[in-house]
Amino acid sequence: MYSALSTIMLDTKKLWRDTLESIKVSVSPAIFSTWFSQTFLAKIEKQGTRFVIEVGCASPFIKTTIESRYFGMLQDSLVKSLEASCDLTFVVRQNPDKKTFEHTLDTPLFQKDDKEEINEAFLRTHIRPGFTFENFAVSSSNQMAHAAAEAVSNTPGSAYNPLFIWGGVGVGKTHLMLAIGYCLLAENPLAKILFVSGEEFTNGIVEGIRNKTTTAFRDKYRRLKALLIDDIQFIAGKDAVQEEFFHTFNALTNAGGQVIMTSDKPPSDISKLEERLKSRFEAGLIVDIAPPDFELRCAITQIKSKERGIELPMDLVQVIAANIDAARPIEGFLVKLASQARLRKTEISEDLVNSLIGKGAESIALKIRAKPLDVISAVAKHFSVGKKYLLGESRVRPIARPRQILMYLLRRELGLPLTEVGRLVGGRDHTTVMHAVEKITHLASEDVQIREDLLGIKNSL
Amino acid sequence: MKLEVLQENFSRALSTASRFASSRAQLPVLGNIYLSAKKNKLLVCSTNLEVSVAISIGAKVSSEGEITIPSRVISELVVNFTPGAIMLNSEKEILEISSSNTNSSVSGMNAVDFPEVPQSLGKTSYSFPKEALLQALSQVVFAASTDETRPILTGVLFLFKKGGLSLVATDGFRLSQKKLQDAGFHQEKKVILPKSALSELARIGIEEQDLKLSFREEDNQVVFGVGDTILSTRILEGDFPEFEKIIPKETNIKVSLDKDDLLRAVKLASVFARDSANIVRFSLKKDGVVIAAESQMAGRQESQVEAKVEGLPTGGFEISFNYRFLEEFLHAVSGGDVNIGLSNENAPGVFTDPSDVNFLHLIMPVRVQV
Repeated sequence: MYSALSTIMLDTKKLWRDTLESIKVSVSPAIFSTWFSQTFLAKIEKQGTRFVIEVGCASPFIKTTIESRYFGMLQDSLVKSLEASCDLTFVVRQNPDKKTFEHTLDTPLFQKDDKEEINEAFLRTHIRPGFTFENFAVSSSNQMAHAAAEAVSNTPGSAYNPLFIWGGVGVGKTHLMLAIGYCLLAENPLAKILFVSGEEFTNGIVEGIRNKTTTAFRDKYRRLKALLIDDIQFIAGKDAVQEEFFHTFNALTNAGGQVIMTSDKPPSDISKLEERLKSRFEAGLIVDIAPPDFELRCAITQIKSKERGIELPMDLVQVIAANIDAARPIEGFLVKLASQARLRKTEISEDLVNSLIGKGAESIALKIRAKPLDVISAVAKHFSVGKKYLLGESRVRPIARPRQILMYLLRRELGLPLTEVGRLVGGRDHTTVMHAVEKITHLASEDVQIREDLLGIKNSL
Repeated sequence: MKLEVLQENFSRALSTASRFASSRAQLPVLGNIYLSAKKNKLLVCSTNLEVSVAISIGAKVSSEGEITIPSRVISELVVNFTPGAIMLNSEKEILEISSSNTNSSVSGMNAVDFPEVPQSLGKTSYSFPKEALLQALSQVVFAASTDETRPILTGVLFLFKKGGLSLVATDGFRLSQKKLQDAGFHQEKKVILPKSALSELARIGIEEQDLKLSFREEDNQVVFGVGDTILSTRILEGDFPEFEKIIPKETNIKVSLDKDDLLRAVKLASVFARDSANIVRFSLKKDGVVIAAESQMAGRQESQVEAKVEGLPTGGFEISFNYRFLEEFLHAVSGGDVNIGLSNENAPGVFTDPSDVNFLHLIMPVRVQV
């Protein structure tokens, strides 16, 4: 699981590798491989000007030996790499990176039945595997929802009942809900759980009324231990469905069953939702998930690229996360990146990423439906620069930077051809536009201000 | 360091300690045995950084000190000394060993490089019923894997529950479980200990009287105390497979037969099974089991064992096992009879000893294409 990532955390592996390299020089190979090769950096914290570093050792013998004999050497080397004084503590722990996944035991006695059983459970409950808490990245925007979901998966039916998760498109509502389902199934593959969308629920009732099988429908839902409903807002405005859902809800919760719902709005904002349902929903916990922030998008990019077996260095991860602002487009981008790299038979490089981001608009759905002139006005307004100057000849930074941002937006968000962008921005050459797009793409991964400017302008459109 | 010690004691300590020293260590000092004279004790230690042993034996110490000596040299030397008192005298990095008629000097290494080895049980230790534990180990440890690619399966799970203790080991093809009713430890706890350390514990334990253990959480270690010997082992990290799930709750077919008859039949079959992937075929009949094996090169063999068979399907029933697993299980059974529970030819067979309800063994059948 990724918590908020900061640049220092990302470099711990490199820091430790560098430290070990320098120790390798000063001790004999036998000593190095016996005492140091299995150590790792367990924790690093900055306290004031000092770093507090916890070193993980595979066994207590290694711990006491390094502590008593090589402490000074290790500290000196770390001080040099960090350029700050540091305190060392030692802990006996296995290197988490080296842990093999024991539950993928592929032996006759263990794997087969287990897998069949759980696969069957997935089919029965409609829960899609692959959405787990482990691959859900957490940051401040979805921390609350994540914590609530974990609490529910630990004590279903009692922690928060119902749990109502709402948020915009692609923020991870359904992922969280499926993760709860996955967790419950992993604990007991025979658990009575059902995952349906609001629409499926509606269709079920309609079918039940038509075929006179409403009793079977009721039995199916009211005996569940947990009911997971995606996009509950679909039942709003459908009286018979709401009535049925109301009774199902009551029957379930009275029997100690857990209800989890997702929606794109909070219950109070869903129009044509019956008052009694609204009040039932509000009795549980309502959590919202905000769109992912930059750090979270970095983590998502890392998780998704790992899933697809793409090796991405951190600087590219940041470029991608800075320029694409939701989880699904990031996934789409990675697919495209991998297929391009395969087609061109090249390594994934910064150039490739930049060129794909530059013409991303073709593949990544347009989110802004604005006229080019609106964008120009929005940029001018955001930076308080006159349109005339913005499109004019001046090349001073306070004018040129907004102009580059303008070109980036026209190209990236509206998907205009390079020459057209050039024409709109005061008759400039298409190479100028290319340069501007690349420049902003790069800057966005490093500069918080640029990211905020971009977001502000997009929001104002 | 200068002291006098009895050859019998010293040699025994050295032979135990030499099994813990690592023979192929990159760091030479780990192939050594550490000797330290303090008060009226001689401490003999060795470690391979996974397990360690510290044995203290009585000695007449005239000057205290410490040294490390290559394990093979000193143990082979001392074992051939005539019984009685021998003198140890260390001068810098040379150890002189002498008795009334022999004199040898061995070059060793400075003791500062030797890692610190646990020499006591620590504050909180628990007494253990030794006989019961040793018997349990002999029934469980053999089922653990030797395959280092799945480290967790090379360990034995100790599952403490309200005064009782379950020992479980599996290599993915078979599983052995033994429950002990009273383990002297009354908390819920789960540790996985390496097979190698436990086999050593079983060897040391035979000679000594009482057995104690303590947990060192922060060092990720368990320390056993057997008489004057302190054995420490690391705890394997990871999750033990969920073995409870795979133990069949009920079996349709129940077979009970005489242990020695079965063992003889399995041994006979093994002569041919060795050539054909160790497969031994069991065919269940109304009043017995036909145990057969064949090899394309050597020939075939069949023997019938009398047995009580319940729940035999009308079409008969056949199942194949690896004879090694059967043999090892049968050696671990203490009673005279064996019960086998089967449900179908792809589900694990449940092997039990009717005289010992706490022992349970599962063996996965071999799938044979017909």
